[in-house]
Amino acid sequence: MGILTTMKTCWRHRALIGALVTRQLNARYRGSILGFFWTFLNPIFLMLIYALVFRVYMRFDMDHYPAFVFAGLLPWIWFTTSMSEGANSLIANGNLITRAMFPPEILPVVAVIANLMNFVFTIPVLLVVFLISGIPFGWQLAWLPVIVAIQCIFTLALTFLFAALNVPFRDVQHLLTNALTFWFFLCPILYPLERVPDALKPVALGNGMGTLITSYQNIFVHQQGPGIAALFAMLFGSILLLILGDAVFRHYRDTFAEYL
Amino acid sequence: MRSRRRASGDVGARVHPASSPPALEVSHVSKRFRSHRQGSGYSTLKSLFLGKGRKQSAPAQSWHQALTDVSLVVPKGEVGGVIGRNGSGKTTLLKLITGIYRPDEGTIRYEGRLASLIELGAGFHPDFTGRENALINGMVLGMTKREILARMDTIIAYAEIEEFIDEPVRTYSTGMYMRLAFAIAVNVEPDVLLLDEILSVGDEQFARKCAHEIERFRASGTTILIVSHDLEAVKRYCSHVIHLEDGRVRNEGPAVEVVEAYRAQFAE
Repeated sequence: MGILTTMKTCWRHRALIGALVTRQLNARYRGSILGFFWTFLNPIFLMLIYALVFRVYMRFDMDHYPAFVFAGLLPWIWFTTSMSEGANSLIANGNLITRAMFPPEILPVVAVIANLMNFVFTIPVLLVVFLISGIPFGWQLAWLPVIVAIQCIFTLALTFLFAALNVPFRDVQHLLTNALTFWFFLCPILYPLERVPDALKPVALGNGMGTLITSYQNIFVHQQGPGIAALFAMLFGSILLLILGDAVFRHYRDTFAEYL
Repeated sequence: MRSRRRASGDVGARVHPASSPPALEVSHVSKRFRSHRQGSGYSTLKSLFLGKGRKQSAPAQSWHQALTDVSLVVPKGEVGGVIGRNGSGKTTLLKLITGIYRPDEGTIRYEGRLASLIELGAGFHPDFTGRENALINGMVLGMTKREILARMDTIIAYAEIEEFIDEPVRTYSTGMYMRLAFAIAVNVEPDVLLLDEILSVGDEQFARKCAHEIERFRASGTTILIVSHDLEAVKRYCSHVIHLEDGRVRNEGPAVEVVEAYRAQFAE
């Protein structure tokens, strides 16, 4: 099956993936004085802005609202930056694809892993925010690696799909930018799932990211299990999506050099 | 990556008599590209949907035939050459051998590790230091991380940029940039080496370094294919040369004969 070949290729080039991930992490803040601290500062500022707008201006009443927003915002940032960087990764590295023996499938992987690293680095900050808010930690936090792994598969699947489609159809990245904005507001990140009208709950959860976000909120904010049935459905769906995304990628793979 | 190895005993149709089995064999390769002119091949989502909607009236895609029935054999340890005017298909041929493009027809075979220098420093990131770029570029060319780290000092010394190796490459002069890229490439130690037009990019000293490396590679049994406009260099290094014109092999044979015939063509 195609996906196994892709996995083998990625494994064979794991050292190159590692070097490119390091380069991407270093490149982002190179030349800035605060450097790596921007990894923490950016989501904190975003959380404070949302807390100000919704808590103060719109008088949204909810306990621990900033901590709640932060728990959903961090995985969302991982997802959305992986998607926009990944979809653009083949075009951005056209120089490598058209002039060297370079395996294109590692580029979306690099985008997802580099942003996963950023996400992992911000988890201690999340824990500090929870400590300050006085929210206790439950044993349910042990579910975190499982949720992260499923999000990884889900994000890789979509990144493969959009990276490949973006090469012959450059409209894709513009459509994706708008879709991601809409997607963000569809997910219960700024508002709790309970506030969503029952008729729209399938939309809030069924978009994939909604299920993952509520799982993070459950284990961090509510000290509950992540909703195992939904999570396993999500895992199954993500694997199917990865097979599809990989198939599309392989369909266009040999023509990338001609389009770039 | 696609494997193109094969047993060395099976030779197939030989284009010229060779003393040893070919290490690189291109047989009857053709390649065409979608024309990127507006409104023809360049696809947008709109054209995809419109095209699907009315298949009958969709305009025929226009194609550019880049290579037609090109064959070439380089025996192990020898240096082959490709000459021809700009746009004759020389770089396309190298990209097909490298595996960047896939041929529409024909087959390409080689033995062992292939390194392709289509552009010196392909994928260098301007904000990163020479050392960081050497690591990634070396891996792109097929070396392992350990191999590169073991040879890093050799690479730096060869490139003669000791005091700048930890500076970003955007601060490098063109010469430093090329020396670093070339130093990495010659340390790959490939079995088959493809060189596109790098003989004529540097100054006298760089050219001498290239010449020295080509000699060293040839002595160590590396098979080389050179694409160049530098006809004297082609005559000097290559045993067998093909002359491409409009994507077809117009002439082929011993280097001196093919180069002189090519020159005579312009003298007319």
